[in-house]
Amino acid sequence: MKRRVVITGIGVVAPNGATTEEFWDNSIAARSSVQHIPEHWLNYWQPQSRLWASLPTIDFDARGITRIERMQLDKSTILAILSAQEALTNARLPPKLTDEKKNLFSIEGFSGDRTGIFMGTGIGGISSFAQNEGNHILSPCSTLLQKKSLSPNDFSEVVHAPARFNPFAVSMAMPNSCSAILGIRFSITGPNRTLCNACASGTMAIGQAFEAISHGTADAALAGGAEYVADDYGGVFRGFDVAKTLVKQCADPQTANRPFDKKRSGFLFAEGGSAVLVLEELSQAKDRGAPIIAEVLSHAETFDAHSIMSIDASAKQIRRMILLALEKANVLPREIDYINAHGTSTEQNDEIEANTIESIFGTRPLINATKSLTGHTIGAAGAIETAVTALSIARKTTHACKNLDEPVRPLSFVTKPAMFDIRTAFTQSFAFGGHNAGLVLREYRA
Amino acid sequence: MDSVQVQDPLYEKTVAVVCEVLKVKPELVKLESHIKNDLGADSLDTVSLLMSLEDVFKEPISDETALTLETVGDVVAFINSRKNQVAAV
Repeated sequence: MKRRVVITGIGVVAPNGATTEEFWDNSIAARSSVQHIPEHWLNYWQPQSRLWASLPTIDFDARGITRIERMQLDKSTILAILSAQEALTNARLPPKLTDEKKNLFSIEGFSGDRTGIFMGTGIGGISSFAQNEGNHILSPCSTLLQKKSLSPNDFSEVVHAPARFNPFAVSMAMPNSCSAILGIRFSITGPNRTLCNACASGTMAIGQAFEAISHGTADAALAGGAEYVADDYGGVFRGFDVAKTLVKQCADPQTANRPFDKKRSGFLFAEGGSAVLVLEELSQAKDRGAPIIAEVLSHAETFDAHSIMSIDASAKQIRRMILLALEKANVLPREIDYINAHGTSTEQNDEIEANTIESIFGTRPLINATKSLTGHTIGAAGAIETAVTALSIARKTTHACKNLDEPVRPLSFVTKPAMFDIRTAFTQSFAFGGHNAGLVLREYRA
Repeated sequence: MDSVQVQDPLYEKTVAVVCEVLKVKPELVKLESHIKNDLGADSLDTVSLLMSLEDVFKEPISDETALTLETVGDVVAFINSRKNQVAAV
């Protein structure tokens, strides 16, 4: 018999908020993060897109990340730690320090063996890899220039070698660092998995955690996604830029990112982000008096088998994924009150997604796209959007779909926050490669 | 290596880094303290310590040099010698 699974804690770090409440308040107020990309990236190439969503300033010391850890962990892992710590604290499971030297914690009342970690990431420690590769390649160049009596300063704009090749280069770049470090830090010894499914990673990670708890493999889990893609040379940004997926220039950068709008031009690249949810089997959550935010009813995945970089215009497998998620949840399309869409602001995605939603759900459910506020946080996106979905159910309100003036389809897009009767909701993610994933969430009913 | 005095201005800074990385009390750290044998550093701690020293003193420490830095005094003497070399240029 399947067991019920509830969300009892949420932690978020996003471009428009360094904590869940800051992120939520800014989202409700339609405050997003849009800046020009770092000036020195232009030394390497002339990008078509010049905008990104940078992260807010974060006081890492104040949030328990030591200077030593900042040298030895990839930023995506650090963001995951921050959101995991916050999620645990919000779930009334504050981590207790057990090893000061190693900065390790335990969680009282939680069985480490029966708790899992399921983290999604698109490209893991790519920024750390790029940084160390920069040292590896460019340090000899600097030495050579000095030998030839040329000043490295003459070339410093492009020959920008980091000071050291980091001894932790491998462990920083491994995609599984994020889930492994969370397990080590919080003494969680159950199933520990890394989901690398590009932009659907976060949704799939939460889905896999849900399945594990539902089927009895674990009683609880930390699940979510983390990403950090700002390497010092802008190479990751260039990868998306050259694929012509990114938002184009416009007179007012604040309006460039506009999911589901007819004038959309591409997605807004985000520096990074993370969201971690505490999922628990219902009776465990009730026994310890946990704050129940929402219940996860189902998870479904399908695969396009179509193209490594393009969404299948027929949306056949997206449609199958949605119907599968509804069937598993025993929920009819008309019962879905709110959909947190993938909504990237790319020409193809938004049109295909809007048409698919309309064909299954009609025009009744409320729809928004959190990426209109955060930009695209790749492997963290699905987790951040699941957090928004859960909070929208719990708080009976949600954020607007920012910059949406002329919708591609006449759906019920949220134009301004208000009190909404959101009881059952759906969130979905699609990814490079062809991965589709969705989750049905509902308000908790005893 | 140059001789090292406890009142050396770099000594205090070095001890602070050692304490930060190895989580030992300052009163336990002496010039003659052996980083592995006396202060309990394992191989990972040693790597962390070297990275941290590089970061704080802005001095690269080569793998060859790292092998010679066994005591706190060795570290202070090395940093001192590097600073003196830079000053002499």
